[in-house]
Amino acid sequence: MECCLAFIELDNVTYTYPVPGAAPQPALRGISLRIAEGEYVAIVGANGSGKSTLARMLNALLLPTGGAVRVAGWDTRDAAAHQEIRRIVGMVFQRPEDQLVAATVAEDVAFGPENLGLPPADIRARVEEALETVGMADLWERPPTLLSAGQMQRVALAGVLAMRPRCIVFDEATAMLDPGGRRAVRAMLRRMHTLGLTLVVVTHFMEEAVDADRVIVLERGRVALDDAPAAVFSNAQPLHALGLTLPPVAVLAESLRARVPTLPPGLLTIPALAAALDALPHHAPPLSPIAAPPPSPPAAPLIDMRHLAHTYLAGTPLASPSLRDASLTVAAGGAHGLLGATGAGKSTLMQHLNALLRPQSGAVRVGDFDLNDPAVDVRAVRRYVGLSFQMPEMQIFEQYVGDEIAYGPRLLGLTRTELRARVRWAMTLVGLDFDAFKDRLTFTLSGGERRKVALAATLALQPAILLLDEPTAGLDPAARADLLDRLAALRETGVTLLLSSHQMEDVARLTEQVTALAQGVNALSGPVNEVFAQSDTLHALGLDTPVIGQLVDVLRARGWSLPPTSLSVDDLCSWLLSENFSTD
Amino acid sequence: MSEFEFLRSFAVGQYLPTGSLIHRLDPRARLLAGSLLLVTLAVTRQWLGVIVGLGVVLVGLALARIPLRYALRSLLTPLPFIVLLALIQLFFSFHDPAAVPVWTLGPVRVYATGIGAAALLTLRFMALILLLSLWTFCLSSSELVRGLEALFRPLKALGLPTQDLVLAVQTTLHFMPLLAREAERIAKAQASRGAEWGTGRGGLLRRARQMLPILLPLFLTALQRAETLALAMEARGYRGRGRTSLMELRWRWADSVALAAALVLAPAILWI
Repeated sequence: MECCLAFIELDNVTYTYPVPGAAPQPALRGISLRIAEGEYVAIVGANGSGKSTLARMLNALLLPTGGAVRVAGWDTRDAAAHQEIRRIVGMVFQRPEDQLVAATVAEDVAFGPENLGLPPADIRARVEEALETVGMADLWERPPTLLSAGQMQRVALAGVLAMRPRCIVFDEATAMLDPGGRRAVRAMLRRMHTLGLTLVVVTHFMEEAVDADRVIVLERGRVALDDAPAAVFSNAQPLHALGLTLPPVAVLAESLRARVPTLPPGLLTIPALAAALDALPHHAPPLSPIAAPPPSPPAAPLIDMRHLAHTYLAGTPLASPSLRDASLTVAAGGAHGLLGATGAGKSTLMQHLNALLRPQSGAVRVGDFDLNDPAVDVRAVRRYVGLSFQMPEMQIFEQYVGDEIAYGPRLLGLTRTELRARVRWAMTLVGLDFDAFKDRLTFTLSGGERRKVALAATLALQPAILLLDEPTAGLDPAARADLLDRLAALRETGVTLLLSSHQMEDVARLTEQVTALAQGVNALSGPVNEVFAQSDTLHALGLDTPVIGQLVDVLRARGWSLPPTSLSVDDLCSWLLSENFSTD
Repeated sequence: MSEFEFLRSFAVGQYLPTGSLIHRLDPRARLLAGSLLLVTLAVTRQWLGVIVGLGVVLVGLALARIPLRYALRSLLTPLPFIVLLALIQLFFSFHDPAAVPVWTLGPVRVYATGIGAAALLTLRFMALILLLSLWTFCLSSSELVRGLEALFRPLKALGLPTQDLVLAVQTTLHFMPLLAREAERIAKAQASRGAEWGTGRGGLLRRARQMLPILLPLFLTALQRAETLALAMEARGYRGRGRTSLMELRWRWADSVALAAALVLAPAILWI
């Protein structure tokens, strides 16, 4: 090591974003790293820890304000080397649609080689090869806007591969993807790794960090941990202090270990956990009579949607059907999960429930509102049904937190004192201290805080039903866990929840009934453990099961004849012999 | 129809790949013929010329296999402006001092020349807007970029940053539908919070004030997206020079025919 230069070297790198008129806040504070060629490195850390800034140092998109970055021997401060550095180090960004530049897939992939000034025949060959590698060769002429988010990310990856790079940096490239898209990108990553490429993966998903050889944890611009995944994820406490969590498999392993002390520590993958459980003394438990499900209350559902269909831009050449035949019933006080790959119609369905969209065919009733009635009081419906869009913090427009949350209630004509009480109530629900936050400037808040403000702004209307579209997307693990706790508490107050999410763990945690949509049609629906027991169907729909479902599948393949809906730690423990539970 | 479907009234700027004769022409031929028609239609003072131009555009739409009803929709958004301009022409155009008003109501007098000017203006605008829509229906943004690049190449010798210019055009086109979709999303989000969108209430001033919660986030989103796009392009080695192209343009006899037709029609529009 000491004889020669590492592939990527960072020496005491500092970086401060230029902020006019404010005290400079360094994003990176003295980072020194060596990354060898062919390494697979994950970079994790809370929001604001400097992950993206660090990633952008690697291809000279940002230049260090102190220290030095060298890539394959080139110093990134040497502007003449930028073209070469960016050829060597490619980058895939977070939001699929923001990084595609051309009108067809092929031209987009060609953008990089075109910048290199290659002759057309060479460009064509590279585009073909790159699209072949990501499995998109048949979509050559397709406009990128017609692709799913997962496909767009693969096109973006192809665009990088066409440069024939030696290293690829993924900057939260799976954050916006559905489970199927995320699986495809993760498979791509493993493939790139076997091809000998150096991979640097910035992610909020700890399970993706487990795939890497090495995990670098950042905290406020410094390297807090730099070790193998097994070492970094060996203990939950230090991770929590860094704003992170254990990967879902490790969380499950820990909860099993709390019951079964003989289970070895450090199990980070499903196969490892299944093998360890299988190695413990176990037997098929005596069949216990299956308890009949509690009779469901005959009360009329709060949300009743039947055979809804909706086509966007109907009557134009750009017409695109979104919902074809969707039905949904949600009981009062219930929590219902909505699953579906990108484009399955989840968002369209939700928009019918607060009258943003009106039924083109089919029937929708919410509480006492008949939404097929053209004369229905739309404003009353929207007060009754709160809808929080994906990334709701992007819609904040007021300068002060208090004003932002008061916007909706103020339009209702509340008095000053009522308004104040209402804002305080909503802020308390999401866990923002009224006195500390009401006069804060919205743009100075962290991502998690902004998300809470946006949620409070919806709650301030005191809706009976709350619709949440991807509530945890883009949040760091700590903020995500906190938001889930808040939502669970909110449910206790009697609010009916409808939650759409690409995070199966979130759905399993918060809801008891689930509906999965596929191309605008109900594909699966029922109690959450029945739906999550159908792993094959879920996979075919581009979805997934929570990690416990994945574990049950693997154990079943190993001969454990677990009943179809066993999705609890108790079910698994009933298989283990009593000697496993002795604590000495 | 939903108040939120901003894309619907956004017919200009939508590429419609119908694979027609016009779509298969060389982008340079489409650009040259299109600009020639555009300029002549804009400056001609002849009645018959404008009508011929309108006819050419309608024939073009048919050849491009664009549904006429869809094309006409692009007239809806600018319609209020056209009507306003036509009214100004109607009442305030110059007339012979000796001319007799066709119609009088108190101090308002309408002269034959005014009617003529208003009608000419309306027809001219309709033809121009339809031509612009035809252009965007038939020319994908990448074809536009290839065509402009090729046509501007001689200017590069003069030291002009032609590639940056072309790229600016491209990203603008790329962003318009994205921003329309974003505006729609934000409007819906604010309506969900009690804003009076989609409720059909409120006067003009009230409606204008409702725009703030939409414009501000839209502006920020647009800036953010533009920044990401710039970073993504830079990360892929964009420098604005020394670029080559995947697609090579090929000039065929059909392109010469199209250009020749435009060259014949242009003087006809100007001087008939």
